Amino acid sequence: MRDWFKKGEHWIWFSASTVSISVVLVFGLLAMISYKGLIHFWPHDVYHIEVKHQNGEKEVIVGEMHDSKMKEIEDPNAPHGKAEIPQYLIKTGNRDVYGIDFRWVSSADVVGGVDTLEKDVVVIERYEYGNVYGHIQSITVDGKTVTDPVKALAMLEEQVEKGTELHDEIKYIEKIEIGAINYKIEGLRLEEKRLRAGGDFTDKDAARLDAERKEYQEDFDKHHKNAQALYQQADTLGEVVLSIAGNKSLTVPVKKIVHFWQPNNLNFGERIGFFFSAVKNFLLDDPREANTEGGVFPAIIGTVTMVMLMAVFVTPMGVIAAIYMSEYAREGVVLKMVRISINNLAGVPSIVFGIFGLGFFVYIIGSSIDELFYSYALPSPTFGSPGLLWASLTMALLTLPVVIVSTQEGLSRIPRSLREGGLALGATKSETIMRIILPMTVPAIMTGLILAIARAAGEVAPLMLVGVVKLAPELPLDMVAPFVHLDRKFMHLGFHIYDVGFQSPNVEASQPLVYATSLLLVLIILTLNLGAIMIRNKLREKYKSLDN
Amino acid sequence: MSEQNISVALDRDHRSLSLAEEKVAMEVKNWNLYYGTKQALKDINMIVPEHRVTAFIGPSGCGKSTLLRCFNRMNDLIDIVNVDGEMTLHGDDVYAKEMNVASLRRRVGMVFQKPNPFPKTIYENVAYGLRLQGINDKGILDETVEWALKGAGLWEEVKDRLNENALGMSGGQQQRLCIARAIAIKPEVLLLDEPTSALDPISTLAIEELIFELKKEFTILIVTHNMQQAARVSDYTAFMYMGELIEYTDTDSLFTNPQMKRTEDYITGRYG
Repeated sequence: MRDWFKKGEHWIWFSASTVSISVVLVFGLLAMISYKGLIHFWPHDVYHIEVKHQNGEKEVIVGEMHDSKMKEIEDPNAPHGKAEIPQYLIKTGNRDVYGIDFRWVSSADVVGGVDTLEKDVVVIERYEYGNVYGHIQSITVDGKTVTDPVKALAMLEEQVEKGTELHDEIKYIEKIEIGAINYKIEGLRLEEKRLRAGGDFTDKDAARLDAERKEYQEDFDKHHKNAQALYQQADTLGEVVLSIAGNKSLTVPVKKIVHFWQPNNLNFGERIGFFFSAVKNFLLDDPREANTEGGVFPAIIGTVTMVMLMAVFVTPMGVIAAIYMSEYAREGVVLKMVRISINNLAGVPSIVFGIFGLGFFVYIIGSSIDELFYSYALPSPTFGSPGLLWASLTMALLTLPVVIVSTQEGLSRIPRSLREGGLALGATKSETIMRIILPMTVPAIMTGLILAIARAAGEVAPLMLVGVVKLAPELPLDMVAPFVHLDRKFMHLGFHIYDVGFQSPNVEASQPLVYATSLLLVLIILTLNLGAIMIRNKLREKYKSLDN
Repeated sequence: MSEQNISVALDRDHRSLSLAEEKVAMEVKNWNLYYGTKQALKDINMIVPEHRVTAFIGPSGCGKSTLLRCFNRMNDLIDIVNVDGEMTLHGDDVYAKEMNVASLRRRVGMVFQKPNPFPKTIYENVAYGLRLQGINDKGILDETVEWALKGAGLWEEVKDRLNENALGMSGGQQQRLCIARAIAIKPEVLLLDEPTSALDPISTLAIEELIFELKKEFTILIVTHNMQQAARVSDYTAFMYMGELIEYTDTDSLFTNPQMKRTEDYITGRYG
């Protein structure tokens, strides 16, 4: 045993165990958010639970089992007068009838167990008020009512399909077409304001603007009419009556239905199909119901756009600073101070960067830009309010030290002999840097960028101050010139997690969404990083024989 | 060329060399160099004869590499180095204020101790110096690359893989590539700083052979640790000790009949 200690074996075991703990923690984290996030998309079975309350009242609960935990209750028969019994979290849906989506049920009240499946139950996802759990009583289309369950189901399917199509069309008209026209009309309004402010607003301009405005207005009216027609068509899709638990019935207009399914009747293949379509909807849909339902598409676009812009800003800034510091600046007190400052900058809490971004970029730079170039639009700010540009710049500032430090490391790794080789052939210092040294530093720069991306994509606090919002009306990226709208506010996955998880009115309902969004955020960062790592490895290959 | 032939070829074809009769390529007068406060070169006076090979020998730290790096102002890169004295290249003051260092280095090329090819293709390595001068004409580049690689005795080995990465070559090939790269811009003087110290004997022989060929077109200065090498390749040899130029004369005289006690001690191996 003493030999064992003498050899230092215990240190090896100690190190190995810390490594294992770290690995277990990392994989545990990934496994947990993956499991909790992905289960959100898997079709849950719907159970039939009979409950007898303490006052003797009987009740039937139909819903999905979402959680269970042990609760301590008073029990005179138990050894310590206390016993632990399970209680279950049931998603009952039908919020417009019951008022709540979720309820806890104590197993003490349950009669006959919690594993009875509700036969042939239909789950309907609606655009408003969440899910409906019930049985189809009848469906009415064009005044005709069908009550035969098989026929009614087929009919409902047909009508919902039509409804989805109409919904997509309406959304396209309203969001894309009318959105573009609104953008142009707003452009005209600003142009008029600008001309008036400049004092050279002539009758000719007025006539031209009016003509254009009239043209757009006509366009708008046309699209608006189309949309109205589609809305009317949607009204004729009919309605379905369902009987729901508690001997109640619920009427749902078909136009309000996103989709419906019969979870207890799905076979494994269909479940997998359901899973993938649910994932697809999550990725590509807009959020609904105060972000607690629907997808996260705008948040994905917002996050990726912001990170890309950040990379565009931070790379040249960091690289140029690093080159100056390691190639040109004279060693001395000043350079030492600058180095210390940069290293400390990396340790400044991110919210401080947010405050700085708001105070400096938005209020000072943004307002100055508005006064200089967009004064005609005042008092409504263009760049003088939080937006994509300022968020990206703030993030670039936040990640700048990372890029500078890794670029400097890369520069210091280039052998002196190569610099001398360049100079000895009659290259100036800047030529040597541009043609020989910088290309060889690219892998190191990429390393810095990878770290920067990981940091920027995960950061939430500063973004709340400089451009992220709960729900952005428009994407920062669209098909209307200039395509990337730097002045717009945007949505972000990190903020989305916070908002859905902690600010939503329906915390139980949104919990799976929080995990799913977290998983997505991790995957996006992973994808961005893997892309950068692949580029880096390709470049490293090129220079690898130089390292020895 | 067999080994015997080389030794014949390298055998003195210029028995009666005399510095006084040579054309002057470079001249150094009262040359001093300081690293901060420490003096590394002391009052050096010498001429560098044109189209000859001049070797610098001496123990480690004697200042021979430092002196070599003065000829193309490579020491400028070190902040703490100060020099005084006079140095001319074909009559032009090397350290004059109006002297453009980049163009000076085009006239005085250099090959380093460790092969330092750029992480580019073989072709681009040789063409690099020309591209720096703004020459991008494919015809001129092709021609010069071929000429330089032939001059460095490398053409036959690499002509089929000009577009491969230069880092894939052997050490000896890399060093000859560096020589090709240096001569591609047609310098007047070529500085070789222990060019064979990182190479195996076969590659060393190839480079020595090459130096013999190159002196027809270039003035060559070579620093070497290896006295046999200096005896084999150079026309003139300078012996340096502790930053001073002890003896400088034609190679045969220096090795067979040294005038100074220190030189004799060094070449007979009493220290070094």
